[in-house]
Amino acid sequence: MRSEPQVEGLLRELAPQVLGALVRRHGRFDACEDAVQEALLAATLQWAVEGVPDSPRSWLLTVADRRLVDEWRSESARRRREETAATLELPGRGQPSDQDDTLTLLFLCCHPSLSVPSQLALTLRAVGGLSTAEIANAFLVPEATMAQRISRAKQSIKSTGIRFDLPPEPERADRLRVVMHVLYLVYNEGYTTSSGPALHRADLTTEAIRLTRMLHQLMPREGEVAGLLALMLLTDARRAARTDAEGSLVPLAEQQRGRWNTAQIEEGVALVTRTLGKAPIGPYQLQAAIAAVHDEAPSAGETDWPQILALYEVLEQVSPGPVVTLNRAVALAMVNGPRAGLALLGTLDSDDRMAHTHRLEAVRGHLLELAGDPVAAREAYQRAARMTASVPEQRYLALRATRLG
Amino acid sequence: MKYMIMMFGDQATMVEVKSPEWIKNMLEFMTKIDGELREAGELVEANGLADPTLAKTVRIENGVPVATDGPFAEAKESLAGYWVVDVTDERAIEIASQCVTVTGEPVEVRQVMDAPPENLSEL
Repeated sequence: MRSEPQVEGLLRELAPQVLGALVRRHGRFDACEDAVQEALLAATLQWAVEGVPDSPRSWLLTVADRRLVDEWRSESARRRREETAATLELPGRGQPSDQDDTLTLLFLCCHPSLSVPSQLALTLRAVGGLSTAEIANAFLVPEATMAQRISRAKQSIKSTGIRFDLPPEPERADRLRVVMHVLYLVYNEGYTTSSGPALHRADLTTEAIRLTRMLHQLMPREGEVAGLLALMLLTDARRAARTDAEGSLVPLAEQQRGRWNTAQIEEGVALVTRTLGKAPIGPYQLQAAIAAVHDEAPSAGETDWPQILALYEVLEQVSPGPVVTLNRAVALAMVNGPRAGLALLGTLDSDDRMAHTHRLEAVRGHLLELAGDPVAAREAYQRAARMTASVPEQRYLALRATRLG
Repeated sequence: MKYMIMMFGDQATMVEVKSPEWIKNMLEFMTKIDGELREAGELVEANGLADPTLAKTVRIENGVPVATDGPFAEAKESLAGYWVVDVTDERAIEIASQCVTVTGEPVEVRQVMDAPPENLSEL
């Protein structure tokens, strides 16, 4: 008999396939999604006792289908006529594969007409197979709030008449960018301390990697999808070393590199190496390449900063923005000295997108410290500590400021 | 992002200064906005606080904690109630603006410290 985590993994993998098949059969995404959630719950309870059935996919499909039919029987005749109409609107092509369905679902949940929090919540539920309670926990909101958010998102899909079909070719690249951004946001939400009040968010990191891995398998030729997966793996590889025993942030230069996850680093490096040069270059591939340079350095002192600087220069060409400039300033400081980095930072002071963020001041504090100006560094760290909305970050910045006092 | 939207004041001042219409409008608004925030999946929590005249202040006196009535600070500085909403900063300001438009009284908007840390540890 399979262990509990294996069953959960199987269910989560099958969830989008079953939902896709059901939507294709009946139309009406919202009702189908509820039915699949109920089938997942039934499976969790029943399979734990009776074991996994021979064809788990058919089992889930049958149970979800029955729930749906029961539900509709109890509705009024008027509603049933609407269902029939909805079914007729389905695209009339041949039997698509489960892979197509999963991809279509991902595009649907990340539809640009939905708000970003709705895209995140819906993707985690419909594609990730997470329960509303699990998603609510991860985002630190009450379950009722998350339930309402998901229900709103589903209503919105229904009322705008979004079809269950892959986006047409001319829109495909833009829509894929939205999907990747949603997965990146899920990852970032989880990219955090491994202890303290934000403990359960680590699950989001794992889930983002799982979904991105799935997307990469569905679209192996998309260089940016491969880049995104590599970036997640290479960054997540440092998770255990990123916080100390008290849950405080440990900067990269002070991390115990022996605690990095070498298997994840190897996988990420292999992905980047395979992808770079074969597909059109993009920001995720470049960020992954930068993460790989960090991860491959045996010690902080041996980091190949000239290469990181060169990569940031390319990134700034491909995808210019104040955050990229900020990071390039750090690399520049490591290559040409802190004053060079500080001069580049100065160009961001007039940028409205940066002027009110703590990141600019945190980096300034760091570079001023390297430049041997503890008084100005302390002030910058204090400004940064006041501006952040993250508790671990605030503690880290306050500590750095007091250390210079 | 989560924001706490805070309203201030006390019963005595409200009864003394405000008209029955104002109180009626304010209550209607509270019910309406509460329902809207709930339905939109934006509300994290909301609470009203008991009147500040019932408040106690605990402080150290002769080395031991002692509770006394009060603080009896200026009523307009007393927290009367709050919403915590999970929204963008623009939306938080918009909700606060609706509130101010109805009550005419200032409200305070503060971000809740629950953001995930950014890549600062890569410095």
